[in-house]
Amino acid sequence: MARVYVDGEALVVEIEGLDKLWALKSRLTIPLVNVRGATADPGIVKEPKGLRAPGAHLPGVIVAGTFHLDGERVFWDVRDPAQAVVIELTDERYNRLVIQVSDPRATVRLIEEATRKP
Amino acid sequence: MFADRGYDGTSVDDLVAALGVHRNSLYKTFGSKRGLYMAALHWHVEHQVRPLVMAVSAAGDITEALHRALATDAAKPGIDLLLRAAVERAPIDPEVAEVVTWCLQELDEALGRVLIAGHPGADETARVAALTTALTATVLGLRLRARAGASDTQTIEASGAVADRLSRHEI
Repeated sequence: MARVYVDGEALVVEIEGLDKLWALKSRLTIPLVNVRGATADPGIVKEPKGLRAPGAHLPGVIVAGTFHLDGERVFWDVRDPAQAVVIELTDERYNRLVIQVSDPRATVRLIEEATRKP
Repeated sequence: MFADRGYDGTSVDDLVAALGVHRNSLYKTFGSKRGLYMAALHWHVEHQVRPLVMAVSAAGDITEALHRALATDAAKPGIDLLLRAAVERAPIDPEVAEVVTWCLQELDEALGRVLIAGHPGADETARVAALTTALTATVLGLRLRARAGASDTQTIEASGAVADRLSRHEI
């Protein structure tokens, strides 16, 4: 599970609970200008995830850590597909974050409002 | 698909299947479902709404103008995505609201031009602007009713009745 909030001009993604043991990184701070968008996407969990970089792996139980697919680096932390949100980034270490949040709609709205062009 | 199922009714699974693209390239290209939606909305405005507005503008009289705006012929590109955007996304997305407002104003102005051309001597007063706003609202309402099952005949008769009154009276 992740907690997502806006702090000034940055989006902060905090991996909470035990997941952070698996995912290695427990907190990501991303300038809002580097956030392209967010989408609630329960179906993404069925997709091939690519090759995994360091990070623990328990197949079928938890998807957490860094994956490489088609030259892209994707951060995953999802247990429950229904709560998956995809955050697309640019000029960041990760091209994409696929995280689990308690309220996907609210997270998407938060990100869309924060990244809205004036 | 957004016009048929709406924004919330269309999942990324649906989009990936319908477009035949990989999920990651969809995200890479559009950034999000909203990014893809905005691209679809802009395409709709450019390729369907704008030609419709031009056709309305070029109509010989208000009867024809309303008929063209209603695009009852199924082969004609309609304004269903715009209609849905107005109801579904515009209230919560200022960028969508801006696009919808712009399109409706274009339609207002096109109907206004035809109305004034049919009433020589009429000056372009605020009253004409208010009237065209009401006419555009009529077009949207009739399209909405058509979606809910009103027949083409009913739609055309309704718009014909409005046009008939308008052409008989001073504006």
